[in-house]
Amino acid sequence: MVPPVAVSPLIKTARYSALIVGIIYGKMRYDHLKPIAAEERRIEEEEKKAREEHERIAKQLAEASEDTILK
Amino acid sequence: MAQAAQKLVAKVPKLVGAAVTYTKPRLATFWYYARVELVPPTPSEIPKAIDSASGLIKSYQAGRLGQTTVKDALRNGLVATEVLMWFYIGECIGKGGIVGYNV
Repeated sequence: MVPPVAVSPLIKTARYSALIVGIIYGKMRYDHLKPIAAEERRIEEEEKKAREEHERIAKQLAEASEDTILK
Repeated sequence: MAQAAQKLVAKVPKLVGAAVTYTKPRLATFWYYARVELVPPTPSEIPKAIDSASGLIKSYQAGRLGQTTVKDALRNGLVATEVLMWFYIGECIGKGGIVGYNV
């Protein structure tokens, strides 16, 4: 087996500091994006309710105003 | 149905044993290399790292960039890419998922 290579200290510090910076960055970005997504979901819920209300009213109007005797 | 389930449950220890026999030597090789190559830097190595970094900056300022061979440049590029990948792995750990943010 090839003997293990002695890695230079610069590369070792760079790797592990990149790992730690990445963890911090991922956590910060997640915390930043989470309330934005919750807000978007809430707005989507409200708009969906309003849309369904309009569709319901439109359907009722359409059913009331269609003139067919097959009822 | 119950018999098939019983047979499967009876086979599980044998499967686990086979998995352990398969992974043990490979884990040993991995550990043999990782114990030297993947360990974090000890606190005494950090000043050496800072010295190497300042040495790099000095050699860049001295204009030795034009003297690197293509082979050296490729090797340094690969090492830099590997360090960059550690950043992305850290980001995956921090955001709690592999693909995308689970907001």
